[in-house]
Amino acid sequence: MKRIYVACGSGVATSQTVASKISSMCEDEGLDVAIEAVDIKSLENIIDQCDIYVSIVSNDANIFDKPTVSGIPFLTGIGMDDEWEKLKSFIEL
Amino acid sequence: MDAILNYILGLGAAIFLPVIMIILGLCMGMKVKKAITAGVTLGIAFTGMNVVLGFMFDAISPAAKALVEMTGIQLTAIDVGWAPIASIAWAWPYAVLMFPFQIAINLIMLALNRTNCLNVDLWNVWGKIFIASMVTYVSGSLIFGFIAAGIQVILELLNGDLIQKQLYQFTKIPGVTCTHPMFLQTPVLCAFNRILDFIPGINKINLDSKGLKDKLGIFGENSIMGLLVGALIAGIGGYDFKGIATTAIQVATAMVLFPMVAKLFMQALAPIADAASTFMKNKFKGREFYIGLDWPFIAGQSEVWVAAIIIVPVELLLAIVMSQMGLNNLIPLASIINVAVTVPALIAGNGNLLRMILISIMATPIYLLVATSFAPVMTKMAIATNALQVQSGQFIGWLAFEAPELRWGLAHAFNGEVTGIAVIIALALAFVWYFKRMIVINKTLDDKK
Repeated sequence: MKRIYVACGSGVATSQTVASKISSMCEDEGLDVAIEAVDIKSLENIIDQCDIYVSIVSNDANIFDKPTVSGIPFLTGIGMDDEWEKLKSFIEL
Repeated sequence: MDAILNYILGLGAAIFLPVIMIILGLCMGMKVKKAITAGVTLGIAFTGMNVVLGFMFDAISPAAKALVEMTGIQLTAIDVGWAPIASIAWAWPYAVLMFPFQIAINLIMLALNRTNCLNVDLWNVWGKIFIASMVTYVSGSLIFGFIAAGIQVILELLNGDLIQKQLYQFTKIPGVTCTHPMFLQTPVLCAFNRILDFIPGINKINLDSKGLKDKLGIFGENSIMGLLVGALIAGIGGYDFKGIATTAIQVATAMVLFPMVAKLFMQALAPIADAASTFMKNKFKGREFYIGLDWPFIAGQSEVWVAAIIIVPVELLLAIVMSQMGLNNLIPLASIINVAVTVPALIAGNGNLLRMILISIMATPIYLLVATSFAPVMTKMAIATNALQVQSGQFIGWLAFEAPELRWGLAHAFNGEVTGIAVIIALALAFVWYFKRMIVINKTLDDKK
C-alpha cells in the first residue's frame, strides 16, 4: 500500500481538502492507499515515511527526493485529469 | 417553538451540529453511510477540541497565574490559536447559512463582472461566520452580522483580483489567487511599507531568507514553540525545574494536538465543501476567472516563515510592555507564529524580508489590542453556544486575528460607536489608496511580461 502525504501551512484545511478529494477518487477506482494531510513545517522530518508527495506550493519551493505531483489542480479543477493520471502511475508503480 | 429550539441548541454544538450535518448531507444526495460518518466526525471534532483545550488550560492556567502573581502584569487571556476559534464560529446557530450567502454573492459579482475571482475555499467560510457572529453579538442585530459578513466576502473577492499578479510572480502558480481574510490587512500594511520608504538605506539591505529558514526553521514547528513559551511562562512564574519541564511538554502537546483535532472539522465538512465548489465551478464553465484559494499555496515562500519566527520575541516583549500600559491582557501562544501578518506583508513589502519583518512588527500592537478587546466577547460566545468549556476568570484569546482593524471596526461601527465608524472610514480611505497603488503595480508587472 502506497503512503501519500499532502502538506499545507497547518496540515488542516487545504491539505485535508486535497487529501479527502484524492482519497475519494482512489476509493472510486479501488486503489488501496493511505493518504495523510501533514504540516509543511514538519515535512522535512517526516518526508522519508511517505512514498508519494502531493505539493501545493510552487515547484521550486520544496523539493524532495520523492515522486511528486501538484495538488493545486485538485483544488481548482483545472488540469486535474493530467495530474490524476500522473498520481495513478506513481501509485501503480 | 422557541422552547424546542432552545432545547436543541442547549444540547450543545457537539450534538446538534452533527444532526444538522447528517440531514444536510442526505438532502445533498450523499450516501447514508458517508453522511452519518461526516456528522459523527463533526461531533467528535467539537468534543476533541474541548478535551485538548481543557488539557491546555489545566497545564497553562496555574503557570499563568503564578506569572501574574510574580510580576504583577495582568495577562488573563490565553491565545488559543485559530482552531478553537473556528469551532466557536461553527457552533453559531446560523453558521450553515453562510455557505449559500457567500456563494450567492460570489456568483452575482461574477455575473455582473465586478470580480474575476471564484472563491472555492469553503473552509474559510468560518471567517465570515466568525465576523457575523461577533457583529451580531456586539451590536445585537443579526442583519448587521450578515451585512458585515457580506462586506468581508466582497472585499475578499476584490482584493483577490488585486493581488493575483503579485502572487503569481512569487509562486508561479497560474490561475489562482488568495481570498483568505488575512489579506484584507494589506492596505494598512502597504501604508506601513510607505512609511519605511522614508528610512534611508533600507533598500540596500537584503536578507537571505532561504539560508535563514534552514537555520531558524525548527522554531516554526508547533512543538518547539509550545515548549519554549510554556517553559518561559512557568519560568517567569517561579516554577522549579520539574514544574517548568512539565508545563513546557504539556503546552507543546496541546500545540501539536490542536491541528490534529481541527483536521476532523475539515474531514467532516469536506464532502459538503467539495459539492458546493463543484457546483460553483460548473456554473461558470467557459468564463475566464481566477480560482480563490486558502493561503497555504503561498507557504512555500520561506520569507513568511522566517519573518514570523523573527518577530516572536517582539510579540512577547510588546505583550508585556503593553500590558503594563493597560492595553493588553493576552499571552501569545498558539498563534505566536503569526502568519496572518507575515503573509500579507509579503505583498506589502514586495518580498523584501527586512521590510516584511518591520511591517509585521509595526502591525503587532494592533493584533494585541484587538485580541484583548475581543477576548471577553469570544469567551462569552464560546459559553453561550456550548462550543467550548471555559472556567470563570479565564479568557479565550486569539492573537492572529486576521484583518483585526477591519473586524474590530465593523463590530463597533455596527454598534453605533464613533470610534468604530472612524476606523471604518479610515480603512475605506486606505483601501481606495491601495486600490490605485495596486493597479499601478499590476500594470508594471504586465509591462514586464
